[in-house]
Amino acid sequence: MSFEVFRDVVKPIVAGFGITARRLAEQKVTVQYPDERREQFDRTRWRHVLTRYDSGLERCIGCSLCAGACPARCIYVEAAENTDDERYSPGERYAVRYEINMLRCIFCGYCQEACPTGAIVLRKDFELANYEREDFIYTKEMLLEPIRR
Amino acid sequence: MVKLTINGIELEAPQGELIVETVKRLGLEIPVFCYHPRMKAVGMCRMCLVETGFKQPDGSVRMMPKPQAGCTLPASEGLVVVTDSEAIHRDRKGVLEFLLINHPLDCPICDRGGECPLQNNTMAYGPSTTRFIEMKRHLPKAFPLSQYVTLDLERCIQCGRCVRFTEEISGDSDLAFRFRGAEMQPSTFQLTDFESRFSGNVIEICPVGALTSAKYRFRARPWDLETSPGVCTECSNGCNVWFDHRAGKQVRINGRANDGVNEEWTCDKGKFGHDWYNSTSRLTKPLVRRGDQFVPASWSEAYEEILAAFADKGGKVAGLTGPRVSNEGLFLFKRLFSEAFGSDNVDHRWRSGPVPTGPVPRPLPIASLESKRHILVFGTHLAEDLPIVHLRVRKAWSQSGATVDVAYSAANEVERFAKASLRCRPGAEAALAKCLLGEAVWSGKATVSDAVRAELAGFNADSAEEKSGVSGATVRAAAARLGEGAVVLTSDRLLDAPEPPSAWKSLKALAEATGSEFVCYPTGTNAAGAELLGLVPDHGLSTWQILEGCKDGKIEALWLVEADPSSTHDAALETVPFLVYQGTLENEAMAYASVVLPMAAPAEQDGTWTNCEGRVQRFRQAIAPPGEAKPAWRVFAECLLRARPSTPFFNPGEVMEEIARVHPVFAPAQYSLLPEEGALVARESLVGEPAGGGG
Ligand code: SF4
Ligand code: SF4
Ligand code: SF4
Ligand code: FES
Repeated sequence: MSFEVFRDVVKPIVAGFGITARRLAEQKVTVQYPDERREQFDRTRWRHVLTRYDSGLERCIGCSLCAGACPARCIYVEAAENTDDERYSPGERYAVRYEINMLRCIFCGYCQEACPTGAIVLRKDFELANYEREDFIYTKEMLLEPIRR
Repeated sequence: MVKLTINGIELEAPQGELIVETVKRLGLEIPVFCYHPRMKAVGMCRMCLVETGFKQPDGSVRMMPKPQAGCTLPASEGLVVVTDSEAIHRDRKGVLEFLLINHPLDCPICDRGGECPLQNNTMAYGPSTTRFIEMKRHLPKAFPLSQYVTLDLERCIQCGRCVRFTEEISGDSDLAFRFRGAEMQPSTFQLTDFESRFSGNVIEICPVGALTSAKYRFRARPWDLETSPGVCTECSNGCNVWFDHRAGKQVRINGRANDGVNEEWTCDKGKFGHDWYNSTSRLTKPLVRRGDQFVPASWSEAYEEILAAFADKGGKVAGLTGPRVSNEGLFLFKRLFSEAFGSDNVDHRWRSGPVPTGPVPRPLPIASLESKRHILVFGTHLAEDLPIVHLRVRKAWSQSGATVDVAYSAANEVERFAKASLRCRPGAEAALAKCLLGEAVWSGKATVSDAVRAELAGFNADSAEEKSGVSGATVRAAAARLGEGAVVLTSDRLLDAPEPPSAWKSLKALAEATGSEFVCYPTGTNAAGAELLGLVPDHGLSTWQILEGCKDGKIEALWLVEADPSSTHDAALETVPFLVYQGTLENEAMAYASVVLPMAAPAEQDGTWTNCEGRVQRFRQAIAPPGEAKPAWRVFAECLLRARPSTPFFNPGEVMEEIARVHPVFAPAQYSLLPEEGALVARESLVGEPAGGGG
C-alpha cells in the first residue's frame, strides 16, 4: 500500500467513521416518519379547514373574499341563501360549493386573513400527497370540520 | 362661459354648469351619492361638500364660512372652489360617519360589495373605525319589491336616486319615500309590487346594496365575474350592456353607456331576460332523425343530409329566419339559398299582416327624437315593443318640452304623459289613421292627391267617434298638432292589426301631407339588418306563402333558423318532407325536424347586429358555445363551401367585408372601421318592397 493510497482513501474513511462514532452519543434530530411526527410550529400553514361555530353551524358565509384575496386564484365559491328549513350558517348566505385547488395553492394564508368570519383556516396537516390530479380539488365536504359533539 | 377657480386652477365653464361636472372634467373627483348625471340634482346626501368663495374686485378671495353641496352649486363668474382641503376631508368623514351609523355593514354578504359607492367612498374618505356603540336600526332585510328587485331597508342611505329614477326617467312614479327621518323608506306606496318595465335600473343606480337583483342574489361577487361589452339581443333597440359571466355561464346584465341608444338604461326584458343562456334545454349536438328518434351526428353527416335535400332544388326549398341571427349569418343564409340551392324563398318577417309596399324614408336615429317638437305614437305599445325608444320619447317630453300624442287600442305607458290619448277600438287603427288624415285634409292643413282625397270621403274628426271610438275633438286637436318638427312614430306591430296596408298607407300619407317625419321601427332584434341584407324574397315566396306551400307539398325542404311557427302552422311543419331546425334551444318545431343543428347564442360568437334605427353594433364573443354548437354564419359558410367550392370565410370580419362589397350601405360597418358605439348605416327603406301574402 503506497503512501498516497493511505493518505487519500483509508485516512478519510477512518476519520469519517470517527465523526459518526462521536455523533452516535448525541441526541438524534431525525424522527421515524410516519410512525413518529414532529411537533409543528404554532403558525404553520398547511391544509385548509372550514370551521364551524360551537352550535355546529358553518362559519363560512360564501362571501368569496377568500377567493378574491387568493393570489393563486385557486378558490371557487358559490353561494346560496339559507332558509329557515335548511340552515347552514347564521344569517342569509352560505356557501353551497367551496373548492380549493391544492395544486395551485401556495399556502400563503391570505384566504384566512381575508375571511370575515374566521371560517377558512390553515392548519397543520401537511400530508397532502395523492395520485390523481382531480383528488387535489378539495371540496367543501372535505374541508369542513366534522360537527363536534 | 364664466371664469372660475378650482383648487387653484383657473378654468372656464358654461354658466350654470354644476360644479361636480366641472370638477369631473378637470379629472378630479368629488364623491357623491345622490347626484346622478342623468337626473336632477337634489342635494340630499351632502357627500359632495366643497368649500367655496368669491373673487373680490381687488383680486382677493373671500371664502364662505360654511361648505356647500357641489352637486347643486352652479358655476358662476369668479367662483372659487376648494375640493381638497383639510376641512373638506373632515366634513366628508363626518357625513360618512353619519351615513354609516345605521348602515348594517354586512358587506361580506351584500351583492353590492366590491362595486359599492358607499364602500369606495368610505375607503377613500371615511373613518376607519366606528364610534357608534349603540343599537343599530333594524328593519326588514331582503324584502321583495318585485320579482326582480329586492329591498334591504337597513342598507338604504335615503339618497332618493331610485325614487327620482321612477319619477324622472321611467315615469311610472312607482317608488316613493314613506315616513320621515331615520324611518324614511323607499318603497311603493301600499307595498304593492314594484311594477315597472325599467325596474332593473334602480339596482344599478342605488349607491349601496339596498336595491339588489333577485335574480343575481348571491350568485357571484363582482371579482368572481368576467365582464364583456355586449349588445342586448332581446329586442330591436340594441341596448349596450355589460355581459357578466362566470366560468362560462351568463350571470347578469348591466347597462353600458351609449348616448345614441340607451344612454345607460336597460329594460327589464333585457336585464333579466338572458337566463336562457344557461338553460338545460340548450342544443349541444347536431341530431339527425333515424325513424322515430334523433341520433347524435357529426356536423359533416348533418351537412350531407341537408345538402342532399336542398342542393339545386330551386323553388322547392325555403328558409325562414328568426330575429336573433347576426348580420353575417343572415347574409350567408341568403347567399346559401340563392347560390347553392337556387331558391329565392327566404324571409324573416313574421308579422301576421301582409307587409305594405313602397320605400320608407331612413329611420330617425333614436337620439334625434329628443329634439322634436311633437311626437305622435301610433299603433304601437311603445314601452313594450321599443322600451328604450319609449324612454327617449318621454325624455323629449320631460326635458325638451315636446308634446306627445298616443293612438293605441289599449292602455299603455305613453298615456301617462301624453297630451292626448286616442284610444281607439282594437282593430280600428286603419280607420283612425284615415280620420286623422281626413281631418288634416278637410281642415286645409294638408293637401293630398285627388285619388287619396276621394278615398278619404267620410273620414274626418266628426266620424272618428263612430269609426274608431275616438272623440272628434281629440282627433281634431291631434291632427292640428302635426306638422313641421313633428314625428309620426310607429312600429311593425301596426302590421298585426287588421288591414295593415291601409293603416300604413294612411299613416304615411298623414305624415307626408302634414310635413311631419314618419318612422316605423321594426321590433325584431335584427329585423332592420335582415331588411337591409335583402332577407325578403325578390320574386319568391314570403313567410306565409312558404308555410302554405309546405302544406300543399309545393315546398319539399324547409330550413328554420331560430324560428318556431309550430303554434300557428304545425300542419306545415308536419307535412314538409324535410325540415331543418337550427336553434339555440329545444322547442316544439324540433318534433317535426329531420335534422337539428345547435346554434351559438349572440354572446357565444363574434358578430354584428343592426338595431331599429339602423345602427350596426358589434358583439364580440364573451363565452364559449355549449357543446358543439356553432354560430349560424359558420354553418352557412360551411354548407356553401360543400355545395360550391369557393374561397372560404374564416371569420365574421371577412363576411362583413363581403357584405360591404355587395351592400355598400354596410361599408362603415366593416370591423376595422366600426366604432365602439356602432355605426348608423344609411338606407332608403326599412320595410321593403314586396308584399307578403295574408297570414
Ligand atoms: S393559502 Fe393562499 S394560495 Fe392557498 S388558497 Fe389561501 S389564499 Fe389561496
Ligand atoms: S371562507 Fe370566509 S372568506 Fe371564504 S367565502 Fe367563506 S366566509 Fe367568505
Ligand atoms: S334604496 Fe338605494 S337608491 Fe333608493 S334611496 Fe335608498 S340608497 Fe338611495
Ligand atoms: S351628491 Fe351632492 S348632496 Fe348628494
